[in-house]
Amino acid sequence: MVDNRRRDFLRKSSVGLVATLTSGLWFDMLAKGIVPPHSTTFFEERFGVSREDMKKILETALSKGGEFSELFFEYRINNSVQMEEDLIKDSSENITLGVGIRVLKGAQTGYGYTDDLSFEKMKQTALTAAAIAAGNSKVSIADLTQKTSGLKVYDLNLPMNEVKLDSKVDLVKQAYMAAQAYDKRITKVQASLVDELQYVTIVNSEGLFIADARPQMRMFVSSTAEENNIRNTGFKSAGGRVGLNFFITTETPQSIGKKASEEAITLLAAVNPVAGEQPVVLGSRQSGVMIHEAVGHSLEADGNRKKTSIMWDKFGTQVANPIVTIYDDPTIPFYRGSYNVDDEGTIPQKKMLIENGKLVGYLQDRLSAKLMNMEPDGHGRRQTYKNNPIPRMANTVLAPGNASVEEIIRSVKKGFYAETYQGGQVSDSGKFTFSVNMGYLIEDGKITRPVKNATLIGTNVQILNEIELIAHDTAFFLGTCGKDGQSAAVTAGTPTLKLRQMTVGGRK
Amino acid sequence: MKDQNLLQLAEELVGFGKKNGASQVEVSINQGTNFSVDILQGEIEKLTEAVSKGLGLRIFVEGKVARASSSDFSKDTLQKLVTNAILRAKLSSADPLAGLPEKEPLTVDVTALKIYDPAILEMAPEKKIRAAKKTEAICLADHRVKKTFGSTFSTYIGERYLSNSNGFSGSFKRTSCSCGVSLQAGEESNLFDEGWYDSSVNLEGLESAETIAKKAIHRVTRLIGGKKVESQNVPVVFEPPMTAEILGFFSTCVGGNNVYLKQSFLAGKIGEKIGNELVTIIDDGLKAGAPGTEPFDGEGVPLRRTVVMENGILRNYLLDTYAARKLSMKSTGNSGGPNNLYLSAGSSTPEQIIKSVDKGLFLTGTIGFGQVPTTGDISRGAFGIWIEKGELTYPVAEITISGNLAQLLQGIQMVGNDLQFKDSITGPTIKVAEMTVGGK
Ligand SMILES: [Zn+2]
Repeated sequence: MVDNRRRDFLRKSSVGLVATLTSGLWFDMLAKGIVPPHSTTFFEERFGVSREDMKKILETALSKGGEFSELFFEYRINNSVQMEEDLIKDSSENITLGVGIRVLKGAQTGYGYTDDLSFEKMKQTALTAAAIAAGNSKVSIADLTQKTSGLKVYDLNLPMNEVKLDSKVDLVKQAYMAAQAYDKRITKVQASLVDELQYVTIVNSEGLFIADARPQMRMFVSSTAEENNIRNTGFKSAGGRVGLNFFITTETPQSIGKKASEEAITLLAAVNPVAGEQPVVLGSRQSGVMIHEAVGHSLEADGNRKKTSIMWDKFGTQVANPIVTIYDDPTIPFYRGSYNVDDEGTIPQKKMLIENGKLVGYLQDRLSAKLMNMEPDGHGRRQTYKNNPIPRMANTVLAPGNASVEEIIRSVKKGFYAETYQGGQVSDSGKFTFSVNMGYLIEDGKITRPVKNATLIGTNVQILNEIELIAHDTAFFLGTCGKDGQSAAVTAGTPTLKLRQMTVGGRK
Repeated sequence: MKDQNLLQLAEELVGFGKKNGASQVEVSINQGTNFSVDILQGEIEKLTEAVSKGLGLRIFVEGKVARASSSDFSKDTLQKLVTNAILRAKLSSADPLAGLPEKEPLTVDVTALKIYDPAILEMAPEKKIRAAKKTEAICLADHRVKKTFGSTFSTYIGERYLSNSNGFSGSFKRTSCSCGVSLQAGEESNLFDEGWYDSSVNLEGLESAETIAKKAIHRVTRLIGGKKVESQNVPVVFEPPMTAEILGFFSTCVGGNNVYLKQSFLAGKIGEKIGNELVTIIDDGLKAGAPGTEPFDGEGVPLRRTVVMENGILRNYLLDTYAARKLSMKSTGNSGGPNNLYLSAGSSTPEQIIKSVDKGLFLTGTIGFGQVPTTGDISRGAFGIWIEKGELTYPVAEITISGNLAQLLQGIQMVGNDLQFKDSITGPTIKVAEMTVGGK
């Protein structure tokens, strides 16, 4: 994004309110199934907001001539446990409650929100949002009909909100101790577990009435290794739309801790990269972040509708090597970026973006789809009730190819192999940058010394055409994507792939 | 905004926590009104207006900590959060250093801080919309500007309340406003995004639509035709926003948490010569009318002026109460991070600084996240103008810039006189002896 260097008062003064997690003590009523997880009656039973009230608020929102109105109710319980310096240092429980009211008129949005769900406050907020239009009411509100998503992308077997805090503390300790025990040179470890349950109910003037209850869980470990005055940090996170089962079926806390330390230790021997243009191999482990940044963002519908994305005039054209196929799929069971219903109430679909190198789709929300004469595909997401929905990625995937990893490495005489990342950033003009936490030199077709402090830089149009070989060892990177000041949980997956040429930055 | 007795609510919850078994309790509440208008192609794209609030609490039970927050202010919810936190705290590990700050008298006169401007409250929405429209219109009229991503005008009027069981009870109001525009320029696929935003505590201090538009146009059009250069080590001149960015990384490295956890290369370096003699870095939380100024921090510790680096010597860290105790130091009122952190102005004009470079980079923008506090290593994507024989020549793009913060601070050879207090982290133009540019 262009100007994120500007810091504002809001961010500063809200410190202390941004923490995360749950105790299992809180929502006993929900945990015991008294309120069914997908119930559209959640906000009525808990906060007394009846269906008639919702309809009246939707009407008020259109009273000045708006064409579409929508209420987004949110109740979120978020819990965290943190360990560092051998101590369980902190735990937190955070509750987010509020409603966002949106009014659309053409391409214009009026938005208001309140954390007070009394009828009067909601009505007042609706009037604020209504002010985007100036005139008389033209649209009548359809009767609210309950709709359900057929998708079941959450593992609700052993939800984290039912897990007692002492069990969560145990999980964090297991990860912490495994990281610490990995090597004598590990000097610091931090481990945390964050879980969340978000209830949403979405109603709109077209009569939609739908609800979702979304779990999210993430364990994170960072390990610092020290030797001869050199210090390096390795990271590992794991989780998804899952519960306690994840640690049994998918990855143990010990394995998460160990992987963080493994990276920190490897980096002790790392050298700085050779700066300049060279062949680059993107390892499957985390390189999905590249697909996300370099390709995904440029295919979000809003930027293309407004013609600010570099891809706006390339629909239907060949934008990549024909071996490249990229899609986004919010319906992959249990993945961090998945959901049963998007934040506008649309049931999501797997969306093909680039098929055999050809640009075939954009990620849509309602507004962009309508203005572009396309169909919404369930990619309208928002951070909280305070934000209007915008097109976002969910789980973005580069499809597997025919090459083998060995063949790819062997094909490089002198180049760079990227393994883990600190993050990446892209501007609307398509220029992107990735910070590689750990990479390797490739010399004479073999992976040799570890490399730190490397930066990869390029433009998306160029990079799509530089993809030369694709393997089939797909892995996923768990991330949090930021756009227009809103964050969203996402994943991005790719197999190992080779870029013919890319600029690597580093020290000379 | 009417007084809803939020301070009283905070005090009551502190009492409730004490009564239910907490040894110490802290409750903070924010309430504010946000307004923002986005303009795209001369039309309102989005209009947002809302009042919102949030409550944060910290509970200590014999050195064991738990936190909570909520935007649900119903009595049941808040009391449940307190009792839950007390139960959770008991499952934490005891840490003798954890706890509220010692009570320190608040001597500052809040009005003298000039952080509240009623004119922002009174400004009509139409005026805000007009200012945003005008800013964009000026940019659109320039034929070199290919596209606009739109302009924004926003205001914030807020109140903060804090109460704790050590007897602290305080509140203050503050305001801010900002206006900005983002643009795109360039040819074919070689496009550049840039813009300019200005923000201010008071309406009077906000740059005019003309000034913001002019700066945004200048910033984007000077990049047109940007190309790669050969990889090489050269001197780098940092434009003020870039100096601020480096200081942002510096603030992470002197942040108390990173220091006591030894996740910063500056841990254990107090009293050592880290930077060039020209480098003095100060955090002044009491500078009147500055964006980071407040009477007290998130723990109720009075803000103050802290010399972090004096003529290159590391003098202090930015500390909250816990980090201070860990390091046997005193809190600097930085529980919310840096307040107004700045690199003191020098005597050179920006022109003199550029003139002094035979061959090098004038850095105007970066992209990416490559900054590692443990080592001080920096590696990011960069944009700028190439300097030859003391003159700005052609734009450069798609390069990387890398170095190390310790070497960078040592290598600051010239410091500009163009320091402004528009952002809470700020600095003048500087010249760094050598960094690596990665290009062709
Ligand atoms: Zn992203």
